[in-house]
Amino acid sequence: MPNSFSRLSIAFVLLILFSANRASADHEHASNEFEVFVAGEAYHGSGQVRPGDDDTWFDADVVFGLTQHQFRVFGELYITPNEHDLERLQFGYEFVPETVLWLGRFHQPASAWNTEHHHGRYLQTAITRPFIERWEDEEGLIPQHITGALLESRRPVGADGAVQLSGGAGAGPALYSGEYDPIDLIDHNPGRHRLSVTGRVAYLPEYTGASSFGLLYGHDQISTGSPLVISALNSRHVVLSIYGAYVDWNSEPWRVIGANYYVDVALDQQARDESFISGYVQAERQLPYKLTVFGRIEDSARMQESTYVALFDNHDGDIDVALRRNALGLRWDYVRRQALTIEVSHVVSLKQRSDEIRLQWSAVVP
Amino acid sequence: MKRIAVTWLFAALVSAALTMPALADETLVLIVSAESKVEQLDSLEVRKLFLGMTVVHNGDRLRPLLNEAEPRLKDVFLQNVVSMTDMTYDRRILRLALQGGRSLPAVYADKAMLINTIAADPTAVSFAWARDVQHDKRIKILRVLWHD
Repeated sequence: MPNSFSRLSIAFVLLILFSANRASADHEHASNEFEVFVAGEAYHGSGQVRPGDDDTWFDADVVFGLTQHQFRVFGELYITPNEHDLERLQFGYEFVPETVLWLGRFHQPASAWNTEHHHGRYLQTAITRPFIERWEDEEGLIPQHITGALLESRRPVGADGAVQLSGGAGAGPALYSGEYDPIDLIDHNPGRHRLSVTGRVAYLPEYTGASSFGLLYGHDQISTGSPLVISALNSRHVVLSIYGAYVDWNSEPWRVIGANYYVDVALDQQARDESFISGYVQAERQLPYKLTVFGRIEDSARMQESTYVALFDNHDGDIDVALRRNALGLRWDYVRRQALTIEVSHVVSLKQRSDEIRLQWSAVVP
Repeated sequence: MKRIAVTWLFAALVSAALTMPALADETLVLIVSAESKVEQLDSLEVRKLFLGMTVVHNGDRLRPLLNEAEPRLKDVFLQNVVSMTDMTYDRRILRLALQGGRSLPAVYADKAMLINTIAADPTAVSFAWARDVQHDKRIKILRVLWHD
């Protein structure tokens, strides 16, 4: 463990404890500035040597937030047996209510799934996240972490509705063999991080409601020094242009979340530019006894023909890139802030088919 | 005979009057400190406040306190004011916390402590049964949120 990481981890934990103690002193039992999302998972998949990168047997997502007048500080530390990353660290100023400018490392706003669920598994009804929404260290195809500035705003429209605008710009991940490498806040960065610009515009039928639908846009300039990548793409630079649309419709007991992305991959030689499409739709229905049944369909077009996509399939014995997946599951919120979930799925990847079953316990502490 | 009937009618009216406080027991009110500059909050502002959004009144950022002294009290508030079940509300505010470090409403399971905190903080906003606060001069009732 690098010394810088140790020092920052200790500082982060002290900050959390200070915040929690202060909150406890002010209030009887405030849970408002510190949460830990934990999950444990059991996995079995046919035709795979090892579980996927998204299937660690344990993970903890430590979230810390502090609001003082118009200033905000927010952090998210994600811990698994294999990694401990400061996924987000943001310093914000709220100019007017519901309009915040953030500086730091953040999740790019053009992901429909990740801006809703982030790393907290308890909050997503399903165990898995769609393949197209995977994080960089899970062989995700789209950069997800940017270090720079993020502006978020929600403005009223009409009698009840609202428009939500989010725009982020900064340094995106670099591309190494098989995965993206975003700027690391607590370790060294070898460089080659170039401009990433992403945004979303969404309409909310109710200002305070959970339903929204909108358009997504991302523009990522990517450089690589990896001989493997240069050889595969025959290009030192990649420009990703992402155009998407999403819907997140909530009407108890139903919820439907879906997104579709068109990804254009521009290479040094324009004649070899490629593009692919990937999307998903997930439907959920709450049932009696705090049960929720869910199903998700993921599909894609032209991914199997893309040399860019093939880069992320690193032959390590798990499924890194799926062309299609059908998933079905059941979640049971058996006590407050704890849930058990079972999910079965059929995956068609670049090279094989697999049937998978997952069992997960997830919770929030305190 | 007529006199007996009148007596019974009077007794019934008295009895009904005596039961009025029981009805008042089931009146949910929105409360702030008597020192608070807030004179009124509409339904949208109350929903925004308890869903972790920023609500500013006269330059003060209001602070929501969630009253969990009685399970029924919170259920009535969530169903009739926020329009959510407890489970949905909990997941919603946790999601808001993940989306940008918003401070979640502080939770109070002790009625006296909640009322003392409200009385001491002009920016705090909460809800309570009318019977618990209507005679407390330190507390200002903004409006009735629900009644049986």
